[in-house]
Amino acid sequence: MAARAKSVRRKQIEAAVNYPLDWLEERSGLVGGVKYFLFRKVPGDTNWFHTLGSATLTAFLVQAVTGVILAMYYKPDPKTAYQSIQHISNDITLGWLVRGMHRWGASVFVILMFMHMARVFLFGAYKYPRELNWIIGVLLLALGMFEGFTGYLLPWDNTAYWATVVGININGTVPFLGPFIASILRGGAEIGPDTLSRWYSLHMLAIPGALFALIGLHLYLVIRLGVSSPPWSKEAAGSGPIEPEAPAGGRSGLVQPGTRGVVGRPDSG
Amino acid sequence: VASKRVQERRAQHQQYKRDVEERGKPFFPYAMFHDTIMSAVVVGVIIALACIWKWTVPGDHTSTQPGWLGPLYTDKADPGTTNFVPRPDWYFYFLFYLLRIFKWPDSVILGTIGIPTICLMLLLALPFVDLRRERRLLRRPVAVIAAALVVLSMGVLTYKGAVAKESLGSENLAAVPKWAAREGFASNQTAVAGAKIFAQVGCLTCHTYLGAGSSNLGAPDLSAEGTRKSVDQLQQYIADPSKFGNNVMPKFGSLGPTLLHQLATFLSSSKGAKK
Repeated sequence: MAARAKSVRRKQIEAAVNYPLDWLEERSGLVGGVKYFLFRKVPGDTNWFHTLGSATLTAFLVQAVTGVILAMYYKPDPKTAYQSIQHISNDITLGWLVRGMHRWGASVFVILMFMHMARVFLFGAYKYPRELNWIIGVLLLALGMFEGFTGYLLPWDNTAYWATVVGININGTVPFLGPFIASILRGGAEIGPDTLSRWYSLHMLAIPGALFALIGLHLYLVIRLGVSSPPWSKEAAGSGPIEPEAPAGGRSGLVQPGTRGVVGRPDSG
Repeated sequence: VASKRVQERRAQHQQYKRDVEERGKPFFPYAMFHDTIMSAVVVGVIIALACIWKWTVPGDHTSTQPGWLGPLYTDKADPGTTNFVPRPDWYFYFLFYLLRIFKWPDSVILGTIGIPTICLMLLLALPFVDLRRERRLLRRPVAVIAAALVVLSMGVLTYKGAVAKESLGSENLAAVPKWAAREGFASNQTAVAGAKIFAQVGCLTCHTYLGAGSSNLGAPDLSAEGTRKSVDQLQQYIADPSKFGNNVMPKFGSLGPTLLHQLATFLSSSKGAKK
């Protein structure tokens, strides 16, 4: 009797939990999408090297969250920017931590982008059909570095100011377009209030927006095309070695290149 | 009709998809477990760096003194300061040092724009250049050697950029009597006054003079600049280099005609060390 009552209650709870999920699924397909994302198959021999991409994403999300908090207190004006940085660092509760995480998170983000790129390069994971995702990755690297460059000016201390003077002058050496580019970056003839607000806008709106969009596309392609197994993989995709003498007519997978002619082993995923 | 190579790689990818579907493991929980641990490590490292940055600054941790990871901030931006050496964030050191290798005006564009642009183009072109299906490292010697060279050169350039020595305005000022004696303009008071300006307004941040200063952005050595230009030419050039096609060097017109004349006199008196 008690058991049956429990199972009725359980059914009620399940119905209560499922109702909003079903409601959402019927109208958006999101639940199915998340299920697909979580339970999609990856090659059995994915390993720690494959975590560099999600680690880079984590560093980016740390930048996004700490950046939003910093934007609540930072004042993009040459008269007050420096004081607002000191205020964040010395007065606001845990402000030093948020600013420190943002400042050093940038370095970690850049390092991880390079490490992730090195992994993809050494694994040959940029090859067909993942060429487009490699290109998006290169654009993300360039935009990520540009994000670091624009963020460096914002504290408006001597380090920031003079590094930016040099950086803008470097852009000024571009043939023909140089003076034009330098002028756009400065927002005028000299570095001043317009430069700072311009870089602030680039740093917290334009570039992060582009980064978010490209990261979304990057992940979509990862999910669509699948994760490549390591190049040293004994079998390109499987979760364990298959007996070399599989019964005739059985699944030979990618482990027996001879049986499938051109379909070779570790170069196929 | 797709070529044989295209058909082959399509077949390989289809086979890979089937193999993953049949013998792979679900992303959750297997791969996600590794991802979660790695992400936790990343956040931990970032928090640790933030703490070390703040709490190793001497005193009450609010000054402009450097801690283990450098100062929390330097003094407020002062466009007129001369005692400050520009430096980008560390991950641009490789680019920063690359600029010391090339000299204005012949090849500076190579260092500033040329090499970085070429590298970016090569990266974008990579999947269309390397069309082989081979992924095993031992069978991709060109790729492995190229990767090793890139890592090595970026590492060396970053290191060289990090240890590059710059001289401060105050040190340069002390060297003025020595310059006057070696270049032989000690009796010319205008030139000596110009040398003092030269030492302090930041010229030596990019230019070198008798071994002082640091060569940046391809700026030339000025020890014998007087052999090339007259006082008037130099004065106009320094006031606004962009009028002469130089968009890298900042304008120094704000110094005013008197100081500019002294500076130009100093440079025109510099015709190379005599002793």
